[in-house]
Amino acid sequence: MVASLARRFGDLDTAEEAAAEAFATAVTRWPSDGVPPNPGAWLTTTANRKAIDRIRRENKRCGKHLEAHMLADDNPPDSPDEGVIDDERLRLIFTCCHPALSMENRVALTLRMVGGLTVPEISRAFLVQETTMGQRITRAKAKIKAARIPYRMPGAEDLPGRVSGVLAVLYLVFNEGYLATGPDTDPVRQELTTEAIRLTRLIHALMPEDGEVVGLLALMLLTESRRAARVSAGGELVTLDQQDRGAWDAALIAEGHQLVRRRLASGVAPGRYQILAAINAVHTSAPQAHDSDWSQVVALYDQLARIDPSPIVALNRAIALAELDGPEVALAIIDPLENELADYHPFHATRADLLRRLSRSQESREAYDKAIGLAGNTAETAYLARRRQELA
Amino acid sequence: MQYLISVIHDSPDLATPSEMAAIDVFNDRLTADGHWVFAAGLGGHDTATLIDNRGEEPVLTDGPFLESKEYLAGFWIIEAPDLDVALELATEGSKSCNRKVEVRPLLAE
Repeated sequence: MVASLARRFGDLDTAEEAAAEAFATAVTRWPSDGVPPNPGAWLTTTANRKAIDRIRRENKRCGKHLEAHMLADDNPPDSPDEGVIDDERLRLIFTCCHPALSMENRVALTLRMVGGLTVPEISRAFLVQETTMGQRITRAKAKIKAARIPYRMPGAEDLPGRVSGVLAVLYLVFNEGYLATGPDTDPVRQELTTEAIRLTRLIHALMPEDGEVVGLLALMLLTESRRAARVSAGGELVTLDQQDRGAWDAALIAEGHQLVRRRLASGVAPGRYQILAAINAVHTSAPQAHDSDWSQVVALYDQLARIDPSPIVALNRAIALAELDGPEVALAIIDPLENELADYHPFHATRADLLRRLSRSQESREAYDKAIGLAGNTAETAYLARRRQELA
Repeated sequence: MQYLISVIHDSPDLATPSEMAAIDVFNDRLTADGHWVFAAGLGGHDTATLIDNRGEEPVLTDGPFLESKEYLAGFWIIEAPDLDVALELATEGSKSCNRKVEVRPLLAE
């Protein structure tokens, strides 16, 4: 079978992988679905489909422009074959993101099995050893097999919870790729945001009615639109108010705004990702930083705080509130969060900035020191170090 | 496929009457739905005896094999087609006996 696949697709790796995947699917599904009447033909057909799928994925990943991805992924299925492939992909995503697997194993398995990234690529992106990443994938596969995690779409009652699990994995992958990058960053990290967007688009195409999927996609697009403006030539983080808005990607912003508007029009109460997307939409609507509609942003954070009363939401709300009511009011809100956010470097960076604006330089300096000590990212520490230096 | 649901506890206290009642309800459900294989509560860790006969002579020790804060208090063995079903049952089990539980597959023949 591998030979005939190799002949058809001209690539032994593709053939071997496709054959292995076909066998794996058979092993998982035949015990519950029953052995098909013609097992050989089933295997060959399945392997062929998986090979086509893989090649399509490889071609998409080689595309240099996000626009090409957008057009390709928006094509509706034009044959029954496509629909079957989509069902397979959905099943695969939900299985790889099963709640019985640890978060890090879900991420590794999803990127490998659904994203098609190689183990070396995933390891470099998450800055772990290849053996470690390989083990995560091996353990996850072994658990799926040994504990019999079923290879199927969750039932209707379980679906909302399971979807949010998948979105959490994709959001984690996106953030990992989006962390502001320093001068010695591996370019593979940028592939992570592209991959996260591609997989979220896939879920969106397969579940177009789910509001939080739309929200996450919009959030990713609007965040990604600012990538080019986010790091200076010198490798330093550029904050939102200082970014060159001309460098923002207008096409991504337009698509993000359209998705946010669509969710608003639905009249359904928005979940977390939809609100975060709306906040980003407000920011990306402003031609210049001083045009930002901060009262809208605060109102959205008020909404977010009602469904997610975490201290991080309170912190981000306070940052926006500072633009309306001044740094003193904001500081009064975030100081009590010290216990919960002591190890969270943006907390100290925020305090440092507010104290600076209140001319409390010594306290500001101490806060910058704490932030720099906790921050890992080189672009961010460069920025924080400069701000500290500029203090009177 | 069979799964072991281990009940984990951190004190020698046995189940309260209301916990026992809830466990009975849960056991009835397991039986009615065809999941029941076997279940039992265990004597406290003070009632355990450790035997090590790997060497020349067997060694007997009074007490459990692990000195730990948490230990095995009881178990169910259930029959379920896949982990999703096993987890759903174990979730109800944890609530009814008011303890943490661990779900593990039994190795197939």
